[in-house]
Amino acid sequence: MATVAGAERAPTAGSGAEAVRGANTAAPRGRWRRHVPPYLAISPYYVLFTVFGAFPVGFSLYLSFQDWDGIGDMRFVGLQQYRWLLHDSVFWHSILNTFEIWFMSTVPMLLLALVIAFLLNAQVRHATAYRVAYFIPNVTSMVAMTIVFGSVFAQAGLANSLLKAIGVDGVDWLTSSLGIKSAISIMIIWRWVGYNALIFLAGLQAIPTELFEAARVDGASSRQTLFRVLVPQLRPVILFAVITSTINGLQIFTESQVLFYSDDPGTTGGPGQEGLTIVLYLWQKAFNDHQFGYGAAIGWSLFAIIALFAIINWRLVSGSERENRPRISWRKGARNGR
Amino acid sequence: MEFRTMSRRRLLGASLGGAGAALLGLSGCGSDHGSVSAGTDHLSIWYWNGALSDKLLAVSARGVPGVPGLKVKGSPIAGDYKSKLRTSMAARAYVPDLACANSDVSLFFPDEGEFLDLRKLGADALEDQYLDWKWKSGISPSGRMIGFPLDAGPTALYYRRDLFEKAGLPTEPADVAAATATWDKYLALGRTLKSRAPGKPFLVSQISYVFRMALYQSPKQFVDADNHFIGDQQHVKRAWDLAVETYRQGLSARVLDSTPDYNAAMGRGKVASMITAVWAIGGLKDVAPKTSGAWRLTALPGGPTNYGGSYLTITRYCRDPEGAFAYLKWLLGPENQLKSYQEMALFPTTPAAYSKPAMRKPDPFFGGQIPVDVFGPAAEKAPVIFFSPYEDICNTPVFQELTNVETLGKNPEKAWRDAMNACERTLSQQGVS
Repeated sequence: MATVAGAERAPTAGSGAEAVRGANTAAPRGRWRRHVPPYLAISPYYVLFTVFGAFPVGFSLYLSFQDWDGIGDMRFVGLQQYRWLLHDSVFWHSILNTFEIWFMSTVPMLLLALVIAFLLNAQVRHATAYRVAYFIPNVTSMVAMTIVFGSVFAQAGLANSLLKAIGVDGVDWLTSSLGIKSAISIMIIWRWVGYNALIFLAGLQAIPTELFEAARVDGASSRQTLFRVLVPQLRPVILFAVITSTINGLQIFTESQVLFYSDDPGTTGGPGQEGLTIVLYLWQKAFNDHQFGYGAAIGWSLFAIIALFAIINWRLVSGSERENRPRISWRKGARNGR
Repeated sequence: MEFRTMSRRRLLGASLGGAGAALLGLSGCGSDHGSVSAGTDHLSIWYWNGALSDKLLAVSARGVPGVPGLKVKGSPIAGDYKSKLRTSMAARAYVPDLACANSDVSLFFPDEGEFLDLRKLGADALEDQYLDWKWKSGISPSGRMIGFPLDAGPTALYYRRDLFEKAGLPTEPADVAAATATWDKYLALGRTLKSRAPGKPFLVSQISYVFRMALYQSPKQFVDADNHFIGDQQHVKRAWDLAVETYRQGLSARVLDSTPDYNAAMGRGKVASMITAVWAIGGLKDVAPKTSGAWRLTALPGGPTNYGGSYLTITRYCRDPEGAFAYLKWLLGPENQLKSYQEMALFPTTPAAYSKPAMRKPDPFFGGQIPVDVFGPAAEKAPVIFFSPYEDICNTPVFQELTNVETLGKNPEKAWRDAMNACERTLSQQGVS
């Protein structure tokens, strides 16, 4: 829906620009003068981005070759930080943790989101209310929610009470490897499932209804409709969701940091450091131990990991989706009953 | 048309110029000193909520008594205080004239030039009013005094008199002190407690407290003044072994601090004693209000020590060092430390205050016991400890491994080796070996 509205608006904006250009050509002014106002108009974003986005990115790369405690003089150490990183077992542990949590959260979350989107797409009453309800966790303060979840997953908390009510033994949510990762994954699922469901829903509504009707006429069951019609049609949207979930998932921080916060002796990700994610380790090294060069090196290593994932994803997409690109035209085609 | 275009451009130009000037101002303005108070009529002091007396700050904002024309305004810094202070120092701009520093003031020793030497401002004349170990802990290995004593964190054994009584153990503070004079006696008492008291209460909430207190009883910590790693030596190993022994004997409730499980354990009497500092009283009263009257205080097993407590520093950006020192002398003198204790429960670092009636009020939470009777002598007898800038980064992996031992059942020998390896690895990155 949004795509279509945007596409309709686009020509209007284009003809407006045309008109302005025509007026400017009429005036006898230098070429650059014509181009300055639009650049000035968009400059606030780029000024802010340069100061708060591009500069920190560049500076952190510079930092990763230095030894710096945050106040005193920097000392150039070349690749030493990265060399230490390669031999740091805690760093490798944090990568493993991050991937385990990412897998444990993303797979169930996307499946659940698909089911929710499928249900929301059906004729239900108060559909908007449901959509809002599913989206609310995404805009709730994660810190506040983590504190609530901390009580839910406590030894005598809500989660264990519920388990006991159905006759299952309590789980060591916050004191065992699997428990810690499950607890964090559940928090991630809770936060992102609605968001992804809405994205799936948008993609779903772009699928021509004739396809479903045809499936129904042919006597397909709901299950068959879901997996034979809907999922293949949703492929690009699912890939989008997978990529964004990967980027988000590899940067998990708040959940572990708040859940296992300790001022003295420091936040290290709970028992066995099972909740220690890459970003939490970065934060701990840079802002607890004041090893800013090491923290920056962790940040750039994370960048490399995410870039690697992005390339793999991109290869997968470009290999099989070439005929469907660009994506917008695919959606438009779908709406027009291609 | 022509006029309108021009004016629009002028407007754009003016607003952009304005934004640019504002940005420049952000980085440049007031940088003649780098002090956040430049261009104002007062000095500025940064603190975190609860670190200083609000009443005394309100007085000094109007004018510091006895110092005509001097005003000092406090800015409570929310969030990550340490990072914000370090950020301002790294930027050399908007640095406060005075700043509170926590018990980890030694973290600033490598950058001691960021702070003024308080001895050069006349601190030596005040030394005999303050606790000896506290005074010395604010002085860097090179002899520069950067931290002035703010408050102290003398430690005690907190115990549940009611549970001790039901277990047939001594109940009066003096008798309990005798029965827990050493760590071994304390653990033995814990075994009796667990077998005889109702609900089988534990001795401690987690074993890291045993390690922490036993280590703080040693003048040596992880790294010595010559930047050598000494954390693998007997004084640390002894504290580790005591903690592991507490775990082996099943005397730990194994609940992490400030978790809902901790609150539940304290509130329900699953933990019958605590070994911690005076500032834990507030938290205990919040967590376990129903146990009011049941708690008592006595001397820490194995001898007195200190845990926590803050410092006041004057930064090198201070616009008026003499004025700042005069303020510090006023704020942290014995009289105002007593006021800060009454208002904020900041335990004085001036022992003269301990005998004042205001400090000798009985506390109903401790059954009418006078807390300073225990904490006062502990503060006066606490050992002089050398804290290097690297204590935190060594403590972190050791506490982590203690947690692993008691919550995951990790082999203590392996945990000790892993902790030592982690210490040495992190230290070698900092040039300490």
